[in-house]
Amino acid sequence: MARATRVHGSQGYIEGVTSTAILELSAVTKVFADKVVLAPTDLSVDEGSFVSIVGPSGCGKSTLFNVIAGLLAPDAGEVSLQGRNIVGATGHVGYMLQKDLLVPWRTVEDNITMAARLTGRVTSAQRQEARQIAERYGLGEFLNHYPQALSGGMRQRVAFMRTLVTHQPLLLLDEPFGALDAQTRLDMQRWLLDVWRETSRTVLFITHDVDESIFLSDRILVMSPRPGRIVADLVNPLGRPREIDVLTDSTFVDLKSQILRLLHGLDRGK
Amino acid sequence: MKLLARVLVSLASFGLLLAVWEGVVVLFHVAPYIAPRPLAAIEAVTNNWSLLWPLVLEIIRETLFGFLAGAAIGVFFGVTMSKVRLVQRIFYPQLILSQAVPVIAIAFPLTAILGFGSVKPIIAIVMWIVFFPVTVNVLDGLSHVDRDLLNLAKVYGASRWRTFWVIEAPATVTPLFSGLKIGATYAITGSFIGELVSPAGSGSSLALYVEHANSNFEPASVYGVTMLMALIGVTWFLAVAGAEVLATPWQRRSVARRAKGRIAAPSPDN
Repeated sequence: MARATRVHGSQGYIEGVTSTAILELSAVTKVFADKVVLAPTDLSVDEGSFVSIVGPSGCGKSTLFNVIAGLLAPDAGEVSLQGRNIVGATGHVGYMLQKDLLVPWRTVEDNITMAARLTGRVTSAQRQEARQIAERYGLGEFLNHYPQALSGGMRQRVAFMRTLVTHQPLLLLDEPFGALDAQTRLDMQRWLLDVWRETSRTVLFITHDVDESIFLSDRILVMSPRPGRIVADLVNPLGRPREIDVLTDSTFVDLKSQILRLLHGLDRGK
Repeated sequence: MKLLARVLVSLASFGLLLAVWEGVVVLFHVAPYIAPRPLAAIEAVTNNWSLLWPLVLEIIRETLFGFLAGAAIGVFFGVTMSKVRLVQRIFYPQLILSQAVPVIAIAFPLTAILGFGSVKPIIAIVMWIVFFPVTVNVLDGLSHVDRDLLNLAKVYGASRWRTFWVIEAPATVTPLFSGLKIGATYAITGSFIGELVSPAGSGSSLALYVEHANSNFEPASVYGVTMLMALIGVTWFLAVAGAEVLATPWQRRSVARRAKGRIAAPSPDN
């Protein structure tokens, strides 16, 4: 099947790469009240990779997420995770939003184990894991705190731990740091990279922030509205591990300028 | 200390009320058959305490049973209407209608149906008054549970039943208590109306005592017993408010008391 995505830039997206695809979308389409929110979209995400999606509001990125998460059934197309068809089926991915969605009546530990509580009984092994992960990523002292006692950045960390302990191979993160101040956001991005490296999950990450997408990802998908579609699929040439200085690297700046031109329509007739 | 200060301020405000009452009676030379001085009203109660005591116990019982039954029905209606749209469409207008009818007017037919001289109509009237604020608040609370949080539960693969117990029910505790507190203050009014219309058992009741005192031009007794009923109402409100404090520790504490039998997180140092 031909890819619906167009390839921009010198790096381009190389097909037939070595790693195996964990997520495959083919011709996924979503229409709301005669408005095409998501034009037929193909997407293949490699196992263990970090892929960002950038685009303006209304470009269909959250719709795309909700389709993958199983909250929305697409009007056409197929979604398969690890070879299994998951169209309209929930319970297959980790999912995190800009809102931390921690419940105020539960402690940090109990919020981390929320998914287990929602699907059955929380085992002592799961409690143990929640405590260990909180210890490891710097929230060990706050296990018995209620979320309201934590800062925004700490709350997002708890929300991410809650996502991690579901042990889903694919994590969908929808602007998880969008509500944080710039300083905290950068700290969180570095923290996320550490955790991601240690846990070897596949991450699909929505953001408005071009810097964030470049700093974090292996690959960046640029989306455009009316109809929502992927207009570019870019491979990030920056190596890992990445530290703050890559933010001013010329490769970084080149990629940023390329993405900004795409987002603001300057490359349209090319 | 802070709590003590708040309690003292509340008591002082009641003292102020009595002082204003005393001041008005003395200053404007109000005749004793129109309105007594506060002390006279209190004496009218203490002097007849042996006669009043069983009647007070009786009205407390009626209020308590009516309140508990009304609260239970209120929760049942609220949850059912929130979960089954059709039930809400059919019954919500009727619930509003039930409150638009003056309670005293329905007290007569209720007594005729449930039996004159029985305690049943009294309890039914208390329930009639109590269930409504509970139903409205529970319904409102359930409909305001964060949609994203419910979606998150869905993404985790939670059943509707578990989502209800783990997320929706705890999220509705605070609005539930708002309804219970309103019901608690109104409950005593229901008992009083019930007792007026359907004197239970012995044929005597606190309400009939007041009525009798009123027709015998003993305003001191009328005022005294009225104060006593207000005191019962306030006490009941405080009991419910106290239960709310116990049921919602996260509203006041930043750290949870460690749950019984739960082992502390292993410290990384030892």
